[in-house]
Amino acid sequence: MAKRTRAVRWGVPVAAVAVVAAAVGTGPVIAAVRSDPSLPDRTAEQLLADVARTWQNGRMPQMSGTIVETASLGLPALPGLSGLSGPGGPSGASPASLLSGSHQLKIWYAGEDRFRLMLPGEMSETDLVADGGTVWLWDSAANKATRLTVPAAPEGGHGGGHGGGHGGAFPMRPGAASPFASPFATPEQAARQALQAAGTDTAISVGDVVTVAGRAAYQIVLTPKSADSLIKDVRVALDGEKLMPLRVQVYAKGAAEPVFEVGFESLSFTAPAPENFSFTPPPGAKVEQGTATPPQDHRPEALAEAHDRGRVVGSGWDSVLVTSLPDVPAQDVPAQQQDGKGRDGMDVTALLDGLKGAATPVSGEWGSGRLLRTKVVSILVTDDGRLLAGAVAPEALYRAAGVKG
Amino acid sequence: MSVRENGRRHLTRLLASEIGLTFRRPRNLAMLGVLAVVPVLVGVAVRVASGGDVGGSIIGQIAGNGLMLTFAAFAVMTPIVLPLTVAVVAGDAIAGEASQGTLRYLLVAPAGRTRLLLVKYANVVVFCLAACALVALSALVAGLVLFPAGPVTLLSGTTIPAADALLRAGVVVLYAAAGMAALGAVALAVSTLTEAPIGAVATSVVLVVVSQVLSAIPQVAAVRPVLLTSWWGAFDGALRAPVAFDQMGQGLLAFAAYVLVFGSLAWSRFTSKDITA
Repeated sequence: MAKRTRAVRWGVPVAAVAVVAAAVGTGPVIAAVRSDPSLPDRTAEQLLADVARTWQNGRMPQMSGTIVETASLGLPALPGLSGLSGPGGPSGASPASLLSGSHQLKIWYAGEDRFRLMLPGEMSETDLVADGGTVWLWDSAANKATRLTVPAAPEGGHGGGHGGGHGGAFPMRPGAASPFASPFATPEQAARQALQAAGTDTAISVGDVVTVAGRAAYQIVLTPKSADSLIKDVRVALDGEKLMPLRVQVYAKGAAEPVFEVGFESLSFTAPAPENFSFTPPPGAKVEQGTATPPQDHRPEALAEAHDRGRVVGSGWDSVLVTSLPDVPAQDVPAQQQDGKGRDGMDVTALLDGLKGAATPVSGEWGSGRLLRTKVVSILVTDDGRLLAGAVAPEALYRAAGVKG
Repeated sequence: MSVRENGRRHLTRLLASEIGLTFRRPRNLAMLGVLAVVPVLVGVAVRVASGGDVGGSIIGQIAGNGLMLTFAAFAVMTPIVLPLTVAVVAGDAIAGEASQGTLRYLLVAPAGRTRLLLVKYANVVVFCLAACALVALSALVAGLVLFPAGPVTLLSGTTIPAADALLRAGVVVLYAAAGMAALGAVALAVSTLTEAPIGAVATSVVLVVVSQVLSAIPQVAAVRPVLLTSWWGAFDGALRAPVAFDQMGQGLLAFAAYVLVFGSLAWSRFTSKDITA
């Protein structure tokens, strides 16, 4: 066979690889070009006001979609954090596994008290189904259905004023949805937290219009003014039409890819099928009763607890959590503001040992200890048994450690 | 016209003879036997152990409902047992003929190399389908004999009638067969590269194992969507309510990409190589 023909023949698989690579790689690009997002110009103030107004009404549109959360916090491989997962999806529905890798959450939303959240695992599934006053938590791996009683919270008491008020049962209360409790946040929750954190220490601007889940979206860019902050900016994408948060990205200084991202991968503003909200415990399943605790920030005792455990030095982006070891080891990541206590199944002791092993010894005027640096969080464990953590450069931790309190 | 018809008839005859050979080979029959026995073993093990706490996992649910054995069998067998058998059949397809010296005679027939390769691959696809259907059938029979049957509880906690569950089992069979057919394309491509069938089989199996290991390492999580093995498990989308067609659709696209790339690789190699044996 002629050499030339042979070369042509080998061109076919090369072309096949190119076609596949192009299809995989340029899918998002094609989508972005096709829709070429264009939205009327709005300033940051106008946008925030419109958002606040939309939220004040408190009604999110009916929708169903898929949310993807991706975290590359640069944490060392810690026991209990490895999310062994399938293709795009997770295998373990453990919340701790959400701290690394990419995870999928499906959502069906028909109203504040009618929604379903689904965390798919490999041959398993965790569901939170709310229909009126009935809230079920279903864990297929444990074959266990938990009926959560939601205490009759005074709704509507927090409509005005600040745009970050909690509007009803959704986004779900951290306590009500223990498996979904932070660190996972819906775009709504994350956006509210980001906007709440904004203040005099933050520069707020409007970024380029982007396409998220096929929809044109405004981008609000929050840039910390502090030099100590490890966070470059937080970008919140707001749907151009519904002004609903579609995506939140956290960029660390010196990293091209977001260290944390939660956003819709697909989204449709149609009423979800009603069968999504009807849950009956299957025959043979364990049925338990559970009580949903009100959200942490609405609970005075939560503040008191937090005060007992540790204190926060600094404010805004520079907040540093100072706490003591080993009574409260789960408080090591303040950004998560989680209730801790190993409720989410993390082996706290093993995790802490892992932290210590991965940390480098440091010392200074403030004393000595071990420092763990990730892209967005610095954690300092001092030899006198304190733990300091924050999304700041280590120097800020040393300063905080120097202040004995 | 008549030449084309002749060609088509020849192709059909060639495929029929290939399929006949595949399903008459003692080695392949033994592998199919193993495929049929594994679900029975799983069922018996659960039956024996069901005195104690069987837990709530998919395996544990078999005790309450025999139909679940069908799905459990695929969960147990798609990672390695099924791929192994497919790798043997597909890896042997070209290299086996070459090593026995029969490839030359096949090429004497007027089918042409492209058509011969197509027939070989079609034969692999038929084997994949048969293997998956056999697993499902064996699991179904074993489940019905060993355990009570009834409405099936899906992963989402929804309960569906047994007839619906059978339909979903059919979807699982087709999806699993598609995944195995993608592996078949890889093994066929490897098979065109060598004249030692055992080398082609071993290479394919090693590729599967390496993929499985890679997808178990969190630090390289980014490569997971590219690996063939990551998509095999997505058949569990058929066990959700609503059915996770998006996930399974992505899986099918991944399979198609593998068939395209490795199929064209096999074609270039097979149509341009010198066949001496």
